[in-house]
Amino acid sequence: MISKILIANRGEIAVRIVRACKEMGITSVAVFSDVDKDALHVSLADESYCIGPYKAKDSYLNMGAILSIATACGAEAIHPGYGLLSENAEFARLCRECNIIFIGPPPEVIEKMGKKDEALRTMQKAGVNTVPGSAQAVTDINQAISFAEEIGYPVLLKARSGGGGKGIRKVDNSEQLERLFLSASAEAANSFNDGALYVEKYLFPVKHVEVQILCDNDNNIAILGERDCSVQRKNQKMLEESPCIALNNKTRAKLFEMAKSAAKAINYTGAGTLEFLLDGQGKLYFMEMNTRLQVEHTVSEMVTGLDLVKWQIRIADGMNMDFLKEGVSLNGHAIECRINAEKSDNGMPSCGKISLLHIPGGPNVRFDTALYQDYNVLPFYDSMIGKLIVYAKTREEAIRKMKAALCELVIEGIHCNREALIEIIEDEEFESGRYTTDFLTKKFKDKVSG
Amino acid sequence: MIRKGLFKWPKNKTEGTPKKANALHSGLPDDICCSCPTCKKTNFVSRVRENLLVCPYCGHHFKMGVRRRIDMISDDGTFNEMFAEIAGRDVLSFPEYQTKKETAQKASGEKEGVVCGVCSVLGAQTAVFAMESEFMMGSMGSAVGERITLLFEYATLNKLPVLGFCLSGGARMQEGMVSLMQMAKTAAAVKRHSDENNLYISVLCDPTSGGVTASFASLADIIIAEPNALICFAGPRVIEQTIRQKLPQGFQRAEFLLEKGFINLICKRAELKELLANILKLHERGGKL
Repeated sequence: MISKILIANRGEIAVRIVRACKEMGITSVAVFSDVDKDALHVSLADESYCIGPYKAKDSYLNMGAILSIATACGAEAIHPGYGLLSENAEFARLCRECNIIFIGPPPEVIEKMGKKDEALRTMQKAGVNTVPGSAQAVTDINQAISFAEEIGYPVLLKARSGGGGKGIRKVDNSEQLERLFLSASAEAANSFNDGALYVEKYLFPVKHVEVQILCDNDNNIAILGERDCSVQRKNQKMLEESPCIALNNKTRAKLFEMAKSAAKAINYTGAGTLEFLLDGQGKLYFMEMNTRLQVEHTVSEMVTGLDLVKWQIRIADGMNMDFLKEGVSLNGHAIECRINAEKSDNGMPSCGKISLLHIPGGPNVRFDTALYQDYNVLPFYDSMIGKLIVYAKTREEAIRKMKAALCELVIEGIHCNREALIEIIEDEEFESGRYTTDFLTKKFKDKVSG
Repeated sequence: MIRKGLFKWPKNKTEGTPKKANALHSGLPDDICCSCPTCKKTNFVSRVRENLLVCPYCGHHFKMGVRRRIDMISDDGTFNEMFAEIAGRDVLSFPEYQTKKETAQKASGEKEGVVCGVCSVLGAQTAVFAMESEFMMGSMGSAVGERITLLFEYATLNKLPVLGFCLSGGARMQEGMVSLMQMAKTAAAVKRHSDENNLYISVLCDPTSGGVTASFASLADIIIAEPNALICFAGPRVIEQTIRQKLPQGFQRAEFLLEKGFINLICKRAELKELLANILKLHERGGKL
């Protein structure tokens, strides 16, 4: 087994990975920016090293500094967590050149799935149903218009190298397309260094359903259930649950089959997520693949009883998934709420010192966080400060548990979205399970007009 | 905040069989990183290579081998090498010259310090030569002088422009007077080429000095330099030691020389091909942009 892992991340996910290392008897190495010297992952890890100033580009994205530390301290592997360098093919390649294991798929796979248009073409070839669209980058407006007319308005303009909801525009007609093409392309060029766009049919109303997969080096594929991530605000997920109750057994079997052939087509290894859209008729469309651990991996852990981070490490070490002999059993229902440090009125990030922290407890209540009493929430990084996860036999019980847990959660000193989450979980539409991706937008609109 | 030693370390044995410490680790290969001499930042060699050997942080232009240079400006597959068979002789039986030459040949993969030929740049035909820094710092011996002279003569005969990447420590001292003679010989060839109304563009790279600066490098119709290239006859250290005075900042650098009118313009590598093609097309017989 790998004996030392460097964790190239911060916050709750870094803490999550350190914990997995501790259980596995692996020495953990934390890296941190100078403002993060008091962060929990730094104190929890066996070793910690400063890699640069507060700006992520100079520290957590500083590949030279991270690889220098990894080599100097003798780390055999690097876990990138999510975000930051986790889907950076260049970083994965450099790790390989430095004889360090990158805990994730090989750089070639990251690259293939990172270019969204190429990913769509690969999946089409593998016989996976994709969202109707150009599936190849369009370079000029006329090309975009002809594609849009072929598939019919409304369409979405999407950045080929996109992510995080940037460079996406919904377009209703050709006039609008002319106007929005340039701004979307400029935004994409700015954010991803690649202004190429592709056209996709705008499907509505839909659910965002994703499949968690885990693949080992012998091409064994484990399907660890699906997640419903339709509670989104501005393309950012806020609440996730597993399983998705809008799926019947037949559709679910089809979804898993599609995920399996997709994973096979690209010869995937490690943990990954395939994102699909589910329309009202129960039809599934592949959207994109994330070649990394995801924020909401926790709900899949709860329903499968598997520790995904530990399995990522074991697979990186060359182990195969012995649990497959008995098969993966999906039990009960899990819900995750993302706790963000933000002001309730305008959604602006909130920062400051945590003056009082109370974390809810009880059976099957999990709180993944890097917060502690007196910790200073910094303005420089992502505003997600914790994830509250509950697990129960049924969805109804899980919702009850989540309500109780959210009410018990106390974070004083900064603002957070607890109230908004309570409102969502108490909402009738949410309880019915029929909600689609526009759920929050609608809810927000009602509030304004009401 | 969290005081030291607050957490106890769990005594869990490593899962499975622990690998021998660092068994995996053969360390960093030598050529993975390089430090930029200007901004001192650490760069990944692969990234610098992709960026035409230019530092992505400060724009420092690293030294570039001849083949890469010609590849950079010529259209794919259009370069035809000429006069590659011409090699110099050790006329003076200069001590250790042979071994030095062999080392240089190994380091650069070239037989001599200059590569000549013809190619097209975005469709514009031109004769081209480029000097190799890995080959005894691009110093000019009889073979270098002869190859360049022959190229100019070929270009004169075929009414071709000449594009020259100059990079040199100067005349090759191991060949004594013979190498100094190359200055006059190449200069004369440039003159004959010019008298036939042919265009000659030189691109001065870091460093261009000594006998090369004092001959064909400075005789071009249009003199371009790479950013911050050292262009001189005697180098700044020699001058400082001779006159016992500190020289001004940036002395003999491309930007300084542009200000003083010694060169026509400075061009970054990324923009060079297009610029050269434009100049070549503009000067084609009956040519237009």
